[in-house]
Amino acid sequence: MKLSTYNFLTSKAIKGVKVGYPLKLTIAKKDVVETEFNPTFIERLLPKLDWNTVYLAAQTVDLADDIPQEQPAAVADNEELLQRLHHLLLEIDVLEGQLECPETGRVFPITDGIPNMLLNEDEV
Amino acid sequence: MSSNYQSKKLDKKQKRCVAIIQNECKIEPVADGISKYVAILNAGLSTGLTEELVLETVEKFGKITRLLMLPNKSYCFMECSSTEDAQNIVQNMNGISKIGQKEAVVYLSYFDSLPQAEDSNWLKPLPKGLVILNDFVTEEEEKLLLDVIKMDNVEVDAALKHRRVKHFGYEFIYGKNNVDPHKPLTNKIPQKCDALWPRLESISKSCNYDFDWYVPDQLTVNSYEPGQGIPPHVDTHSAFLDPILSLSLESDVVLEFRKGLEKRSVLLPRRSLLVMSGEARYDWTHGITPRVLDVVMTANGNLSTRRRSKRTSLTFRRLRRAPCNCNFPLLCDTKLEALKRTESTIESEKAALLEEKNVHNVYDHIAEHFSETRHSPWPQVADFLKSFPQSSILLDVGCGNGKYLNCNPNLLNIGCDRSSGLLKVCSSLNYQTFRCDCIHVPVRSNSVDGCISIAVIHHLATKERRLMAIKELARILRPSGQGLIYVWAKDQNANNKKSSYLRQNKSVNKQKATEEQQRQQTQQQLEEKAKEAPVSLPVHTNRTEFLQQDVLVPWKVKNASAQQSEAEKSTFLRYYHVFEENELESLIGEVNDIKLVKSYYDQGNHCVIFEKLSKSL
Ligand SMILES: [Zn+2]
Repeated sequence: MKLSTYNFLTSKAIKGVKVGYPLKLTIAKKDVVETEFNPTFIERLLPKLDWNTVYLAAQTVDLADDIPQEQPAAVADNEELLQRLHHLLLEIDVLEGQLECPETGRVFPITDGIPNMLLNEDEV
Repeated sequence: MSSNYQSKKLDKKQKRCVAIIQNECKIEPVADGISKYVAILNAGLSTGLTEELVLETVEKFGKITRLLMLPNKSYCFMECSSTEDAQNIVQNMNGISKIGQKEAVVYLSYFDSLPQAEDSNWLKPLPKGLVILNDFVTEEEEKLLLDVIKMDNVEVDAALKHRRVKHFGYEFIYGKNNVDPHKPLTNKIPQKCDALWPRLESISKSCNYDFDWYVPDQLTVNSYEPGQGIPPHVDTHSAFLDPILSLSLESDVVLEFRKGLEKRSVLLPRRSLLVMSGEARYDWTHGITPRVLDVVMTANGNLSTRRRSKRTSLTFRRLRRAPCNCNFPLLCDTKLEALKRTESTIESEKAALLEEKNVHNVYDHIAEHFSETRHSPWPQVADFLKSFPQSSILLDVGCGNGKYLNCNPNLLNIGCDRSSGLLKVCSSLNYQTFRCDCIHVPVRSNSVDGCISIAVIHHLATKERRLMAIKELARILRPSGQGLIYVWAKDQNANNKKSSYLRQNKSVNKQKATEEQQRQQTQQQLEEKAKEAPVSLPVHTNRTEFLQQDVLVPWKVKNASAQQSEAEKSTFLRYYHVFEENELESLIGEVNDIKLVKSYYDQGNHCVIFEKLSKSL
């Protein structure tokens, strides 16, 4: 699971959960897969992401120093930041770990890079 | 010069015929030599040649021990008594004789052997329950019967391909293939027929025939001109009791019986009575091929042709006045009706269990093989994906092996699926995925620019659940975001274009997929397997049209190991709800915050593109 994917996941479907976001990410094993850097792609992607969760992801992988806590107004000219965001969002691959519902503590395991978000009939 | 040119032309034609036989029959011509196997190259059953004509002509020049005529072929073969006989026949006939053929002369060539004759369906046993009583009426009776029936003043019926039809007792209504027992005709079965029943009773007793019978109360008379026929059909189970009786007058005809892939040709001689009971009545279709010549087997065991003349058939039946209670479900209208009534009654408590057992478990078992067979994206889905601007977020709900996750690399493509087997395939291709089901998608609301659901929602077992899945897609879309849904159509023939699903069935291409041909050898086994499903559902026959909306569709795993070769082990039954026309559009209409942009039919699927409304923010 890349951290861009993490940005979209929620546990709101669980019965009684109000927000279910962001999920608490714990990483046991990760990998870095180099991919081609496309500054425009990242720049256009940012408005679609939840910045708090981008920052949270950065904290989880100890890259919080690289990323501002508040979403910067303009990033187009800040190629260095775009490069760091590219690395954070598209190159880091979580292989083993878990996601946890912030309200119920329900754990969703990540195995072989695939989060298992499947809920049982009685949880929904 | 002109005669030389002529002979060269003949030579060329002869060579071409020999090459066809070489290719089709896998036998070799005897070059520059003589053998006792001689082929007539350009006359055979398909050109109307008869055994009688061949024998009459050939035996003037030499003796033959065997004549082999093959169905649908314009050539035939002889085995001569000796090479001298063969030589004499060839010398006197090649390029000279016409053997009753109107146009050209025939050519003869020597071959090294006779071709391997196919297993003729004439030699196989008749369908069980079929009896033919020869000379059931005398010529005098034949004349009397024709007189009382008075077919001459019956108008030809264009709807029945100009066959003349007349009903006695009750009218057989062709549109619904049934009779109305409350509307007896004033025209009863003619009294002249009464003499037939004591005769039938005494014959069936003396011969120990295994059929119970009733004095008929309905008679349909069909009058066929040469070249006319009747499509394969089964006499509607619920309309008539067992047996069906059919008296042939004025001409012989060949009746073709079919049961799945099995075929039998049965000669009905003039003045014979055909009795169809049990399996022959309920589980085989019968029909008459429209043609002028019938291929028949002669007393010598050879195939020959027989010219039809005008034929009148009297089909006597007894109304059932009740649902059918036969043990032959495949062609039974009563059973089929009962199946249709089970539709849309899948209880919600059982829906999830059905999906678990007959969708999720199946996909996990077949993931690898399924993935191998699903590699090329459908073009119109790819077009939809390419319509999004760079960096759009695209979620493929039910992504399978991820074949749509790299159609447009300018998007942030994420897939999800219920099957961990298929997700592993995605993972190996470095696609971004997570596991979930399609009615609880763990993605925040108003967050994605586009979503697709290709061949997913038809696996949900109730309307409520199908609607929930669409509501989930609507929820996750951001305003102005667009979604695309593909579901399997019940009608695989829309716009008169067969979907590739049907086209792949070669036999369906050849002959229309009627309900009656929807049978396979494994069908029975699969019906057994279907009993294990949480809900009782009909098993669909692959590559045929759908008869019901809620069905179990077999998935055959190829390359199954030897022990798994039985259909039971290597075939999985997947649950499908196939969509009627406009059914998907009406579901979209039930979801508040989206609007329908476009709907179309593609590759046997009903498809919609919808858009999230802006005001719902
Ligand atoms: Zn029946």
